[in-house]
Amino acid sequence: MALPEDNSRPHLAPGCRWAEPSNGERTVLFPEGAIVVKGTSRDILEHCDGQRTFAEIVQVLEGLYTLTDVQKIKREAGSFLEQLREKRIVDF
Amino acid sequence: MSLVPLALIAELTHRCPLHCVYCSNPLAMQKATSELSTAEWNRVFREAAAMGSLHVHLTGGEPLARKDIVDLVEGARSAGLYTNLITSGLGLSEQKLQDLLAAGLEHIQLSFQDSDEAAANSIAGARGHAVKVELARSIRKQRVAFTMNIVVHRQNLDRLEEMIRFAEDIQPDRLEIANVQYYGWALPNRTALLPIRSQVENSMRTIRDAQERLRGRMRIDYVVPDYYAKYPKACMGGWGRRLLLIDPAGRALPCHAAGVIPGLQFNNVRERSLEWIWRESAAFNKFRGEEWMAEPCRSCDRRQEDFGGCRCQAFLLTGDAAGTDPVCSLAPLHTLVEGEVQRSNGGPVNGTLPQSPVANEHSWTYRPNPS
Repeated sequence: MALPEDNSRPHLAPGCRWAEPSNGERTVLFPEGAIVVKGTSRDILEHCDGQRTFAEIVQVLEGLYTLTDVQKIKREAGSFLEQLREKRIVDF
Repeated sequence: MSLVPLALIAELTHRCPLHCVYCSNPLAMQKATSELSTAEWNRVFREAAAMGSLHVHLTGGEPLARKDIVDLVEGARSAGLYTNLITSGLGLSEQKLQDLLAAGLEHIQLSFQDSDEAAANSIAGARGHAVKVELARSIRKQRVAFTMNIVVHRQNLDRLEEMIRFAEDIQPDRLEIANVQYYGWALPNRTALLPIRSQVENSMRTIRDAQERLRGRMRIDYVVPDYYAKYPKACMGGWGRRLLLIDPAGRALPCHAAGVIPGLQFNNVRERSLEWIWRESAAFNKFRGEEWMAEPCRSCDRRQEDFGGCRCQAFLLTGDAAGTDPVCSLAPLHTLVEGEVQRSNGGPVNGTLPQSPVANEHSWTYRPNPS
């Protein structure tokens, strides 16, 4: 497991994109598949715009959930992004 | 629950510069003169998107043989579909590549027959390998999702590691290694294509090691040969459940091979809406649900997982499209597959196995071009 570096800028991998929103749901399309992202996953991924750094994304999440355990947020968001990287959906 | 054709498989043409001995196109191919027009395809793309389809797989034959391929990509993408081109690459110039990307193409799936040039050209019945390698490198320079697909079988499975290295050098996002499946042109060539047991076992190890080594860099998907599986595959995710295929002449089918099943009338998008075909047509409803199942499927715990396996394979091997897929170890006619596997392994499964494939003198049945 290689978690994103603080200063990396996570973004959707080439050929992966958001589908048009329908019924309030958000879906990421990628080769041969699609995932509907909800809750925390959605909050993480919507901020992976290639502009924000991973540290900044963690900061946003911290505010959204008024959580204080930054290390825990980092671990969980990081391992989610790493899983998506292995599927070639996210790069950082 | 209402079923949605999540992906549309658009077989744009059956014309192809290659003649692969395992081509999944039907033995009875559609002629160039009967192909759907640009406008007809674009209407199909819009209808599919309106029904909730997310992806379109533009395939063939060779989809680049369509002069309007750029317009079709644009039509599919503007309908909102995720656009994938499944191609041999032959016919793809640098300019055409740029035009396709500008039209919104998102994923290119480039097929290879082997990593070895002579072997690849022999399987394809054409000299295309060297061109494909060049193309693969120029595709990789573009910002597009890129999958390399290599088909494996008895004649090349021993070189699996070399093939993975070959792909690794080109650096696609994803490598799909697919064992031949015995439909279309592969069935008449089955004896020469079916791997032996030790090849299959070794291949599983090689794939696992490579997946570990390349984690995060190149994703590897492996399609195992179902003749060696204990249970059948959930073919197409179940008949008429997730996928909808339109053939070059506009016939709507639940899969590539369904045309072989006698007694089914497949409706044409020239005459009916996609929605009617998907929801109402007799052919798409034929093997939905469980009513059609016989034992052992009907009371099997796995019936919701694999739907009794593949209807086309059941028909091709047993003559009964509603029977259990004979690759299933529980199938009454499993001996048909077992017998083929034993023959391939050079005798009874418990006997002495050949260590490597028999260098058999085989004469391939090559896939011709439609007239």
